[in-house]
Amino acid sequence: MTHCRHWVGLFWVLCSGLALADGVSIGKVYHPYVTPLEWDLEWRALHVQENPEDGRERLQEHALGLGRALSDRLFLEGYLIGERSAGESLRLAASELELLWQLSEQGEYALDYGLLFELEHEREFDDWEAAAKLLLEREFGRFSATANLGLIREWGNGVDSEWETSLALQGRYRHARWLEPAIELHLGEDTRAAGPVLLGSARLGTRESLHWEMGVILGLDAPTPDYTLRGLLEYEF
Amino acid sequence: MRRSGWFALGALLSLLPTQALAATPVYEIEIRGHLFFPEELRIPADTKVKLRVHNRDATPEEFESYELNREKVIMGGRSASIFVGPLAPGVYPFFGEFNPRTAQGRILVVEGD
Repeated sequence: MTHCRHWVGLFWVLCSGLALADGVSIGKVYHPYVTPLEWDLEWRALHVQENPEDGRERLQEHALGLGRALSDRLFLEGYLIGERSAGESLRLAASELELLWQLSEQGEYALDYGLLFELEHEREFDDWEAAAKLLLEREFGRFSATANLGLIREWGNGVDSEWETSLALQGRYRHARWLEPAIELHLGEDTRAAGPVLLGSARLGTRESLHWEMGVILGLDAPTPDYTLRGLLEYEF
Repeated sequence: MRRSGWFALGALLSLLPTQALAATPVYEIEIRGHLFFPEELRIPADTKVKLRVHNRDATPEEFESYELNREKVIMGGRSASIFVGPLAPGVYPFFGEFNPRTAQGRILVVEGD
């Protein structure tokens, strides 16, 4: 019971204290694990019906990534990010590099932990964003809880140079390999959102699998879009 | 960042290296000729254990089990540690992702072993 109160208290503090990042910060929730020898081809997409921040409608973001494990603890992935909204065609908006560093063996400590470093360049205004995220995960039987705590620095011609923070939480039930229901919470300065997500993966052959995620993330306040659809397909080989 | 944010981060970090491993029972598994030895391993219920997996083959193998929520590549001629549990009594199958037809095994979790 004491443990339960501790976690509930910590959760509350995180929600109130770290919700500072601006912009819509809904995206993939990362897990602190690296599989050596793995390659990864990934497509992920976001659809926002209307973004209250800039008034754009039917905003879509597509990211195409290629990643590779550099060692048993490091995974590097590069992305090209395209955007389109109502009346606009798809254009290349940004590129991004990510480095995931697994810091503990899965199940060794009370929490599994890792770090994610991101560097993103947005083309239109020559804006940059660098982020470091602490990735935490813990198993509770068939449940897994994951937290991504981000510290972000933005600079460039189209944004104010500033520090931001972000928080993403995911609670997942490992029902079956192909279907894992989950619930996610995403917090940032202009983002307070939560919603259900379905995840799963299928083995396609030796060292080949397809992982998928789809979710509806609902805005919890006025600056956050009413709903954001997010999807992901990841071919691992 | 607000003071409460730093407090939360500090509280989370303080939880990281919390459990001493001295008391964690260790069990050995070998991979030879794309087979697991032993094929069946008995471990006690409600206890975290450390599996030391020694790959005696020249080629890599991946210990994989959805039931155990573990996926670990062991390079040829190398060893790796895999922490599992605490688990409820039952049978937890695992297999070698590189040689799934031959490399198969199971962990039998039993009460009071």
